[in-house]
Amino acid sequence: MISHLVCMLSLVVFYILQTTVFSQITLIAGTADLILLFLIAWSLQEEVKNTWLWTAIFGGLISVLSAMPFFSPLIGYLGAVGISKLLQRRIWRIPILAMFIVTLLGTIFQQAVYVIALQVNGAPISWAQSFDSVMLPSVLLNLIFALPVFAIANDLVGRIHPLEVET
Amino acid sequence: MKFLNSKNVQTIVLILVVSGLLFLAISGYLTPVFNLTLNPLVSLQRWLSVRYLSARDFLTTPREVTDLREQNAVLELQVSQLQTQLIVMEERLAEAQVCFALLDFGRTNPQYDYIAATVIGREISPFLQYIIIDKGTEDGVLYGMPVVTQQGLVGRVDAAIAAAARVKLITDSTSVVNVRLQTADIEAQLQGSLTGDVFLDMIPLDALIEPGDVVLTSGLGGNYPPNIFVGQVLSTQRRENALFQTASIQPIVDFSSINAVLVVNNFDAVDISPLIPEQ
Repeated sequence: MISHLVCMLSLVVFYILQTTVFSQITLIAGTADLILLFLIAWSLQEEVKNTWLWTAIFGGLISVLSAMPFFSPLIGYLGAVGISKLLQRRIWRIPILAMFIVTLLGTIFQQAVYVIALQVNGAPISWAQSFDSVMLPSVLLNLIFALPVFAIANDLVGRIHPLEVET
Repeated sequence: MKFLNSKNVQTIVLILVVSGLLFLAISGYLTPVFNLTLNPLVSLQRWLSVRYLSARDFLTTPREVTDLREQNAVLELQVSQLQTQLIVMEERLAEAQVCFALLDFGRTNPQYDYIAATVIGREISPFLQYIIIDKGTEDGVLYGMPVVTQQGLVGRVDAAIAAAARVKLITDSTSVVNVRLQTADIEAQLQGSLTGDVFLDMIPLDALIEPGDVVLTSGLGGNYPPNIFVGQVLSTQRRENALFQTASIQPIVDFSSINAVLVVNNFDAVDISPLIPEQ
């Protein structure tokens, strides 16, 4: 129960931070996505079992709030968490490495979904310009913010599920 | 003879001796003697006084430092309070300046009614250029209403809920605004882009456009009111075999630092999409 509460409140805080602050910190035309980073960091925690639920709920909410068409934020977040779960079973012993790899792959997947959705919707944007101006800068910003977000998620999970000392 | 007894003689001698000593002292003859006897006393007094003052300072100074520290803390508190007041006043002054500028725009365009709103957020996706304002349907903000600032055109309301609304900026890649070049008196289309830059398209090849030409809304299409300032021409581009020339535009509104807008609430946008033939 407390895990659900912490996850929900964290996502709300990260959403507010994202819309008010981090959407204005741009590199060329790219921005960091704190919600994506938190969902990835949360899903990489071994003790956490509710990632899919909150990814679906929050992805749906953000799809409604965002101007992106066809629920593409939901698809992007679900895809990123899917990559995270896939990699967690393989390189779970080095979670910070997994965080960086999933951030890289998840951001590219999410942005690719956005480009496809906008192109289908008729927006005159090209892959080359999207890659140069938005995707690469966003990947870089996400990689920069991945470490602090992972530390926050790790600390929160550590407080919810304290380590049991074997006697 | 009874008067000259031993007691009286002693008294008279004492009086004479004291008188003599007083006379000698007043006349200065006893100064060396006084110096010789008083100097050690003065030295002793000075030594004792210095020690006493040192001891007193040692005992009383810590209390004064404490008092000074308390006074310093009080003064620092006052300084921080004054600094806080100063920051609040500066923020209010900045808000007032924005309000005055918006009011000035409203006075110069009295034909429209405005709803002032504050920008409270931006779109999550970096591919889109949208802002979120703190006024919604409860305040009369509806879909399609044009949004301006004291400087010029910002965009139009894309979606509205009770307490907030989403505004599509003219810099968005899907945004198209019909505009008019004031000096050349020709019409064109203003389009946004992925990077937030705006450019003019559909300019006839024979039109002469100079950098610095003013771009205003034309009112065609019914989405925006006419004659709202949009920006100025930066440069023009002509491509071989192209049917039209294009021009880069410097928007008059600084979209990166926009924090308050006016929603034009008595402009009825006309939806002409049913009249456009399907391709």
